[in-house]
Amino acid sequence: MKITVLLSAGRHPVSARPCPPAVELQALRLASGLAADITGLHAGPSADGVADALGHGLSTLNLLTIKGDSDPLVSLAATLKATTPDLILAGRQAQGGEDSGLLPYALARELGLPILADVVRIDAGGEGLLAVEQVLPRGARRRVVLRLPALLTVHPAAPAPLPFTFAAARRGKITQLQGVDSQPPSAAPEERPYRKRPKLIAKSAAGASAADRLKAATEAAAGGGRLLVNPAPAEAAREIITHLREIGVLRR
Amino acid sequence: MTDTTLSLALVLYALAGFAGVAAFRRARAWRAGQPARVDWVAGLRALPRRYLVDVHHVVGRDPFTARMHALTAGGLLAGSLLVLLSPLPGLGGSRLFWGVVALLFAAMLAGGAMVRRRRVPVTPPRLSRGRFAFLPLLLIGYAAGALLVALDGASGGWLWPLGWLGLWLAAAAGLGLVNQIERGPMRHVVAGALHLAAHPRPGRFEGRRETALAPLDLDAPRLGTETPADFAWNRLLGFDACIQCGRCEVACPAFAAGQPLNPKKLIQDLVATLEPGGSNAAYAGSPYPHARPVAGRGGPDQPIIGREAMIHPDTLWSCTTCRACVEECPMMIEHVDAIVSLRRHQTLELGAVPEKAAPALAELRYADDAQGRPLAARTDFAAGTPLPLIAARGEAEILLWLGEGAYDMRHGRSLRALLKLLHLAKVDVAVLGPEERDCGDLARRLGDEATFQRLARENVATLARYRFARILTADPHALHVLRNEYPAFGGHYEVVHHTAFLDELVAAGRLAPGALALAGVTYHDPCYLGRYNGEVDAPRRLLDRLGLDRVEMARHGRRSMCCGGGGGAPLSDVEGETRIPDLRMEQAKATGAGIVAVACPQCTAMLEGVTGDRPEVRDIAELVLMAVEAAPARPTRQPEPVA
Repeated sequence: MKITVLLSAGRHPVSARPCPPAVELQALRLASGLAADITGLHAGPSADGVADALGHGLSTLNLLTIKGDSDPLVSLAATLKATTPDLILAGRQAQGGEDSGLLPYALARELGLPILADVVRIDAGGEGLLAVEQVLPRGARRRVVLRLPALLTVHPAAPAPLPFTFAAARRGKITQLQGVDSQPPSAAPEERPYRKRPKLIAKSAAGASAADRLKAATEAAAGGGRLLVNPAPAEAAREIITHLREIGVLRR
Repeated sequence: MTDTTLSLALVLYALAGFAGVAAFRRARAWRAGQPARVDWVAGLRALPRRYLVDVHHVVGRDPFTARMHALTAGGLLAGSLLVLLSPLPGLGGSRLFWGVVALLFAAMLAGGAMVRRRRVPVTPPRLSRGRFAFLPLLLIGYAAGALLVALDGASGGWLWPLGWLGLWLAAAAGLGLVNQIERGPMRHVVAGALHLAAHPRPGRFEGRRETALAPLDLDAPRLGTETPADFAWNRLLGFDACIQCGRCEVACPAFAAGQPLNPKKLIQDLVATLEPGGSNAAYAGSPYPHARPVAGRGGPDQPIIGREAMIHPDTLWSCTTCRACVEECPMMIEHVDAIVSLRRHQTLELGAVPEKAAPALAELRYADDAQGRPLAARTDFAAGTPLPLIAARGEAEILLWLGEGAYDMRHGRSLRALLKLLHLAKVDVAVLGPEERDCGDLARRLGDEATFQRLARENVATLARYRFARILTADPHALHVLRNEYPAFGGHYEVVHHTAFLDELVAAGRLAPGALALAGVTYHDPCYLGRYNGEVDAPRRLLDRLGLDRVEMARHGRRSMCCGGGGGAPLSDVEGETRIPDLRMEQAKATGAGIVAVACPQCTAMLEGVTGDRPEVRDIAELVLMAVEAAPARPTRQPEPVA
């Protein structure tokens, strides 16, 4: 299996020094658990802060040199179309730049690949398949089997990065390739007036304690309800009706 | 010359030959090591002094053992040498000569009996069994046999039946002793003598503080020690010098806490790897407490650390680098150097650091602080106290190095007390503030030499921009690194610990402490101040100036016990039976003192972490401030200029 891990030029949140984002190093760790041929890929003006990924289980880093303000998407897409890795791993969000977290989605659209976000565990799932554990809100996990090629983003709850190994970083190879310079990504984001979103807040019985009211309010804000895993259709329908009656949508 | 004495001389010539062959065969194992620069001429010339003064200084802490060794070794060497000389004309024929020889072997016999006496009625756990249990019998046999022959010679052949009996006895026991040179206790005679001459830290014998770790060449093809062959040859020689007396084991805090480390076994494991196909099976001393399972196999070119090798990684990471084993070792073995060298390979080549150490090392690499805190926040502890930055002035008489303890709320209290005292004494002091990076102590002890060297270079470059007379610090770890380890990176500073500095201020009359009416106080020596830097007097003198009732723990001064906070041990967090600070606090409690005086942020944190009913923990600076504030208001004496 050929894996490409996308690496970004991060900055340390406190010292602001170049430093690989932890979540990308976690992606490297997930990749190195798969007994695969792993390449790092970075598009940017230099390898500052990126090269340290070579100390965390990566042996080869391809550096697509582009101007500092170029959109890396163009270069990355061009290279990934040419190298066709089976699996592309990215961090959930960069660290120290724009940090929009959109690049993996834009890249998946450009390459026509499925994308699965917030992965914490990857296992080989048979020929051309991958068994993946995905993080859902509120601590839930979902097991997904997906067909390769695909693009996955890694969640910070994944296992900690492999410790930095000075000698491995020293041995690691950086291949400089010419990237494609392009227009900077649109600098002016679309502006809209702020609109307050309606919040569905469950009402607790009048006269209930403050703790009850707080519980009702916070639980509703967090989604509320019960989680049923693979319920029978009739049971699921009953649950939905009960819930709708509870919150007063259905009268009878 | 009688027949028996002549025969004894011949037997000893044969035995000396065998001993030479055995020593030579063992020496081949040392040649597997890396070359090392050894000043043989100076080493051999200094050998008698190193043996009679430095070794005796350590051995003499246990007077029984010292007498035992003097009698045994002196009798064996001097007696045997005289017998070897006896064929010279005019010597062997003299009955007086054989009388002297008899006296020497009688002394050795007494010594041998003392060696045996130590194991009666039961062998103490620190002593090894196996080949070592056999040693007293061989010594007694050889001494008794040679004594009988010498008595025969002294009597002019009258005791010839006893003489022949003695000859056979001496020959048999002598063969046994020679057999113990290549593998056994007698190896320490050969290896120990050579080790004293070719010691990797010769400055130890010249009264210098040779406690700084040697910098690692980061461009070397392989970093740190993976196999025995990566050690310098004289380090291998040093391991062979071990006589398994177990003093290190008794002193080791990790061993006492039931963590899987025993310095004696560690050295023996290293010795076992010197032979191809070596195994740890022959070792017959105390094991590693709660030893993790390992294969226990090794060889000169095989990895030392690992579950499939000789030493389990948990053993390596249990060490607090407190140097208690080095301090106690009569053979002058450098355990901590070996451990750090092995750690360097684990960290730099394999990335195999303890789980909780990896994030700390990462933060040190990218943020210059082990917990990734902003460097500017280091001075937050002093909010409301004037704390001038040296950057604003360019110079100061005293540069205060705050260290990572400054981030800690508890140690912040000690530092505020120190600042207040400095202010009262009108000391011209400044700090680096946001320019102060971690000194690199943690990174270096955890084997991350790359990060240490970067921090050292950057700190040296920062310090080079400012003018100051001395660096003052309340952190003995920073003190050791700045004073002893930065010189290798071009930073030569006069560094003073706050206990010594406050002592100076009080002596010069710049601070006038009153007498403190407190419950008894016992002083806990920080390893990096006492053992690493030999500063054990100033803190005690200072406490005495406060009029405190000072009591000593059984282990104090250079032989003090570690608090468990050094060498990254709190991060490695290897599981044991109990915690090292709990043990140390028990010792403090046993003195009946109400206060444990400390002088190190690590010790404060570790000892304050002890739960239950215990003496209070106070930094010496806090006690001095209490005393100064308790003093009746009177004008301080005119300060004398400090040299």
